[in-house]
Amino acid sequence: MEPEPLLDSLRNAVTAMPDDVPLRLHLATMLMRAGQRDEAVRHLGAVLQREPGNAEAMRMLTAPAEAPGRPAPAEAEASPERALSSPSPAPATPPAADRPAGTPDAKTPEVGPPQPDEVDADDQADGYDWSQAENELRDVLPTMFVGEAGSVSAGLDEARAYDAENTGLTLADVAGLDEVKKRLEAAFLAPMRNPDLRKLYGKSLRGGLLLYGPPGCGKTFIARAVAGELGARFITVSFADLIDMFVGRSERNIHELFEVARRNAPCVVFLDEVDAIGQKRSQLRNTPMRSAVNQLLLELDDVASDNTGVFLLAATNHPWDVDSALRRPGRFDRTLLVLPPDGPAREGVFRYHLRERPVAGIDLGKLSRLTDGYSGADIAHVCETAAERALLDSVKRGEPRLIGQTDLEAAVGEVRPSLGTWFETARNVALFANEGGAYDDLVAYLRKRRLI
Amino acid sequence: MTEIKEELARAATMLDLGRYDEASTLLARLVSAEPGSGRAWCLFARAHLGADRFADAVEAANRAAAIEPSEEWPHRLASNALMHLGNHGEALRAAAESRRLAPGYWQTHVCVAQAALAAGQPAIAATAATEARKLAPNEPDVHFLSGKVALARGDLDGARGHQERALALDPTHSGAMNELGRIRLRRHDTIGAIKHFISAARTTPGEHIYSRNIDVVIVRSVSRMIYVFVLIAMILLWIPAVAHTGRLPLAIGFGALSAATLASFAIMVSRLPKEARQLARRTVLSRRVTSALAIAFGGVALAFAAVAFVPSDALPQTLPVAIIITIVARVIATARLRAPLGPNPPGNRTTPTQPLPPSRRRSLPAKTNAVVIAGKASSGSIISGP
Repeated sequence: MEPEPLLDSLRNAVTAMPDDVPLRLHLATMLMRAGQRDEAVRHLGAVLQREPGNAEAMRMLTAPAEAPGRPAPAEAEASPERALSSPSPAPATPPAADRPAGTPDAKTPEVGPPQPDEVDADDQADGYDWSQAENELRDVLPTMFVGEAGSVSAGLDEARAYDAENTGLTLADVAGLDEVKKRLEAAFLAPMRNPDLRKLYGKSLRGGLLLYGPPGCGKTFIARAVAGELGARFITVSFADLIDMFVGRSERNIHELFEVARRNAPCVVFLDEVDAIGQKRSQLRNTPMRSAVNQLLLELDDVASDNTGVFLLAATNHPWDVDSALRRPGRFDRTLLVLPPDGPAREGVFRYHLRERPVAGIDLGKLSRLTDGYSGADIAHVCETAAERALLDSVKRGEPRLIGQTDLEAAVGEVRPSLGTWFETARNVALFANEGGAYDDLVAYLRKRRLI
Repeated sequence: MTEIKEELARAATMLDLGRYDEASTLLARLVSAEPGSGRAWCLFARAHLGADRFADAVEAANRAAAIEPSEEWPHRLASNALMHLGNHGEALRAAAESRRLAPGYWQTHVCVAQAALAAGQPAIAATAATEARKLAPNEPDVHFLSGKVALARGDLDGARGHQERALALDPTHSGAMNELGRIRLRRHDTIGAIKHFISAARTTPGEHIYSRNIDVVIVRSVSRMIYVFVLIAMILLWIPAVAHTGRLPLAIGFGALSAATLASFAIMVSRLPKEARQLARRTVLSRRVTSALAIAFGGVALAFAAVAFVPSDALPQTLPVAIIITIVARVIATARLRAPLGPNPPGNRTTPTQPLPPSRRRSLPAKTNAVVIAGKASSGSIISGP
């Protein structure tokens, strides 16, 4: 059993640094040891929100609950009997002490959760709120870019409530990226904002805009800014929502989404990670997914013909995986490459992530130069690492100090840019799959950066 | 029950879409809530496999097997993960167990063939592949693996037939295109091989093995060029000793040899498809290739200079030294070429020998290195559920 003062100190530290994953994991381990599994699970959920693939957190979550005083899962795993080649002990009917709290007893049906009222009874009996834990762990997908934190998901949940929000953002809020803004204005915004000129030139409003580019570079933020520019409401459909479409009544869900958009016109419908839903149908083995794609195509055509102020935006990291049917005229027929942040944009991202931290003497220009090729998410990680470094140093010295330029430069040395894999794929596309010049802007960028 | 089913369906969808990390997170929650669900553990194992966490995959598959001992899927998953861990004996045993449990299911035979192939037992692999073809004659992955087995046994015509059949059944089967490239390479048809690799890369740009294979072929051509250059140079070095000629003929010989070597390489590159030429230029200009060429040509030039500038009476002592210099230059140059592939794109500071990220297509990538033309380790159908 861990002493409570130690746990309190750790809790305080986590409160001070909510994004410090190792610290949270450490606290969760201590809580597990102290038998406070409920709180530990909450912290593990928070870890998974920040790092969805964190193996340690998943392992601790999947490990059976230990009775107080028994070794923690981390210790138990080190035991030699967990040989890879031999089957693990069968968890089908584990002893009661080895089952997680709330797990159905061996006498209850073997597969499937207990009925809702039984769950409540268990919750009350052992003081553990499973539904709360489930809610905490439900939306574990990471946000793509700064500015997403406050966004409201369209939410294809049980109530199928879609929230159309006013983003309050404009392109002026997007730091740098002048080239992207220019192309966005020419390809999308100018015709939308000038209906008279549009009529004069016979320009139709058919079709949506597909934003593509490496992950963590602000596609979602730009989409929200576009909605603001158009004075339109904004409905975002995330990857998790798209998955829900697949497993639920997909056709109805998709239809309802577009109905809500029409009711809230002018409205921007933003399909994030559209490659999930619009993946080439030849690659989709799952029949519900194929029907979801077909339904989406139907709705897109409806939006195109019934022009009631519904604007379509989509984003993807892998446009080459998107079904060509989705990219035909009248659907997502215009594309915009959103590249890694340029110098001014990187400065803006640094400024954003450091704005509420105790910093002094930061040379944003130098940091921007040092982080050429970093995504916005990478820069956020740099700021996080620098803060962690300053905190540890403060603990060592026994007095707090400000985050300085040296902390950030050291963090830049530690954090590797994460876009290499994406650019390797992009290079393959540019070299081998640029049919019809669909990716000419990408080719031009790769040439400029001497990546091909 | 319904909720768990829906969550499992959601996880399976994520896996189908290649979203292994998100699926892992969801499945971690599911197996924690429902540790007695064999399907949840199987999906968890599949998620680990997709994310290259092979030890975790084995553990999850073993859990599933313990829960549902009569199910074959956990054994197939375990076999695949064990194969990636290099534990080929155990992988073959797990595959055999899956076949024992479901002998009428073609995927179990493909699993055995794949594990046997990895374990260096092509005869067992061939028998299993034949059985799989009987059960599923119209399944492209069966022909794909049959082709791999045939190639491993040196049956190039048979391998080509199987891969062409796989492509006929699925024209977007990039793995089969890659295998056809490997077969061409075994026939010393570099240009034909590269064309197949390009087709594969065009079909599945997210799979990096194919473009790396093109790199490897180009590097291999450079290596062969250096070998031929050094071999002819060693013969030329004997001319002064045998024919008692002066420096000028030796210098002319060296110049002609260098020019001929470079010209033959340039001709080979010019015959490549346009896309591959771009890649070839980038590869040849990479640090490791330029340094290998500099070492080889420098070493040979040094040897020629030593022979040309010593008095004729000292030639018997100098000649062996010159030969040794030439051989050492060739060895160092070849070793330089065997260094990890590169250069990486700027901004990518990971080393090319690090595990590749999970493929977005429905198969697992094989690990690749600088000297091996990589094929796919497995077809996605081996680990997908029944």
